[in-house]
Amino acid sequence: MSLINLELISFKIALILCAVSTVGYLFSLLIKKIKLAKFSTWILAGVFGCLTVNLLFVVINSAGLINLGSRDFFSFCAWSVSGAYLALQFKTKTRSLGAFISPFILLFMIAAAGQDAGKSLLPQNLQSWLITVHLFLTIVGEALFVLASCAGAMFIIQNRLLKHKKLSRMSRLLPSLNDLDRINHICLLWGFPILTLGIFAGAVFAGFNWKTDWLTDPKIIWTFAGWIIYGFLLHQRLAISWRGYRMAVFSFAAFILLLLSYGSVRFCFSTLHNFI
Amino acid sequence: MIVLIGLNHKTAPIAVREKIFAGCQEEKDLFSHLRSLKGVGEVLYLSTCNRIEIIAGIDEPEEAEAVRSLRDFLAQNGGLTPTEAANCFYEYRGEEAVRHIFRVAASLDSLVMGETQILGQVKDAYRQALAQNATGVVLNRLMHCSFRAAKRVRSETAIAVNPVSVSFAAVELAKKIFGTLTGKKILLIGAGEMAELTGMHLISNGAEEIIVANRSMPQALSLAEKFHGEAVSLDALEIKLIEADIVISSTGAPAYIVTADLIRKIHHQRKNRLLFLIDIAVPRDIDPAASSLENVYLYNIDNLQDIVDENMNVRKKEAIKAEMIVEEEITRYVSWQKEQESVPTIVSLRNKAEEIVRTEMDKAAGWMQKLDKEEQEKVGSLVNSIVNKLLHTPVTALKEESSEFSSKDIVATARRLFRLDE
Repeated sequence: MSLINLELISFKIALILCAVSTVGYLFSLLIKKIKLAKFSTWILAGVFGCLTVNLLFVVINSAGLINLGSRDFFSFCAWSVSGAYLALQFKTKTRSLGAFISPFILLFMIAAAGQDAGKSLLPQNLQSWLITVHLFLTIVGEALFVLASCAGAMFIIQNRLLKHKKLSRMSRLLPSLNDLDRINHICLLWGFPILTLGIFAGAVFAGFNWKTDWLTDPKIIWTFAGWIIYGFLLHQRLAISWRGYRMAVFSFAAFILLLLSYGSVRFCFSTLHNFI
Repeated sequence: MIVLIGLNHKTAPIAVREKIFAGCQEEKDLFSHLRSLKGVGEVLYLSTCNRIEIIAGIDEPEEAEAVRSLRDFLAQNGGLTPTEAANCFYEYRGEEAVRHIFRVAASLDSLVMGETQILGQVKDAYRQALAQNATGVVLNRLMHCSFRAAKRVRSETAIAVNPVSVSFAAVELAKKIFGTLTGKKILLIGAGEMAELTGMHLISNGAEEIIVANRSMPQALSLAEKFHGEAVSLDALEIKLIEADIVISSTGAPAYIVTADLIRKIHHQRKNRLLFLIDIAVPRDIDPAASSLENVYLYNIDNLQDIVDENMNVRKKEAIKAEMIVEEEITRYVSWQKEQESVPTIVSLRNKAEEIVRTEMDKAAGWMQKLDKEEQEKVGSLVNSIVNKLLHTPVTALKEESSEFSSKDIVATARRLFRLDE
């Protein structure tokens, strides 16, 4: 069996497992059984394992990851989010967070499956190790922000249930407020410097290679805005002791805002980052 | 036959239960004594704070006498008159006794339905009986089946999931807010009994430090000493509120002790940390407006009681499922028990067959000597194989019929048919 085939098989297994895990997580929320969420976490660990194998084959096949494929890019997004989520599981055991995260992972996987195999993500002039580093760090940074925002959304729900003096089955299923706040904190703490380094790598490449006025590129402005917002949130948390409800609301609102602005930039403007 | 005699919190007051408990405790060789009673083959003695029960495997011909002896034993140990004993004791036989012990182990007969302690107590009672060689096939099987029923009830229903006391509800809420209680500081305002109990539960769940703030310092000191905590006067309340994560208030003050303004004022000094306020005082000690503040979670006694009531309703609903599980397990056990009734007949049948084979083989010994050893063995195994195949159908029928219907008729027919009693 060739390496290309193994790459494809590991991807397909990951896709199937991801769908099963997402259904399991959502169902666990619906029937309010934590056991099912625990089982789905194991399946998601399987997804992460398969994607790791898949990405190893990608590295071997593409000789150094300089010419990254479109499918590999989305697989990598799914790998980053699932990896960050599973790492948090070791610290907080907040299984039900998976019900909020796994749909994102599945969306990335579906997007990856929709890409033609072998199609390059990057145009010829962007194929550089610096761009790969830029993509890697930016995606991991954004993945951590996705997690921070999901934890924020869950905090808002749990807060509402507890404020209404209801210890319902939903409340029992959701993690504690403190755990959710901690996830938000850890994700911001790690996500911000990683995103900063990612942006820096991109800026270094652009500074040396692009002669155009790349600083006014809509997607760069969008990324910079995201960086500023998350930087602001991290500052407020560390310096002003913002935490709990306010932090949850702001990080969730920031995520929605960034998602909407990304959508408008993606579909309304022509940018230097048209490949994403 | 299985017989269960006993008394519990529903049938006897604590004074009577205490007397019988003390009497039985004084009994040196309890199990030997019980087994020496006429007709009692196997025995198990269960004693908890809410019940005292004797479960016995009894030989049917001596059933009446054995039951009387067991009742007398309990009554004498408690110094009860026959009338008192008649009012306090309950008695179950056969399937009813099985149902009762299954329900007890599954915590369906407990004072607080769904409590988890009882299964451990039943297991301890069984261990004691085992150590004294007081149980046999029937009770061993009965107890193992009761443990299985209890485990199924625990895992397949939510009967024991949610707390049904105010103090445990407060602990559960604290866990939903803080996750773990390790390292959390508790501030008790007032030295009420309920606050003390809740504080104790929080400490046993990992909370590390207790501060007692009270108008009367000696009372605060006495309570703080119990928890190895710190005692302060109400003047230090503001400073201690800054440090605390969980506040339990139960003073008899006519006005609010903790106002929303006070919480608002210290919020920044607390660095916006989550704050869980439990107000179990009537009239209330904590301003209800504090509930609307960010990262503050206020529950008063009614809120906690509502949670307990809701949980109790859930337990009642789950108890219906639990009863069904118990019935399933009873059916399994009774079916096994009935099957056991045919065992002596099956053994007799096999013995008779073996005897016939032995006699016929002895008769054939003369001509079989002419065969070599290997051929002799072949003939022997052929005969055994024919006998086993012939017996297989009646033995299976005996087992099946016995487990499904009454074993008496089929056992009697088999014994007559094969002349097993001659």
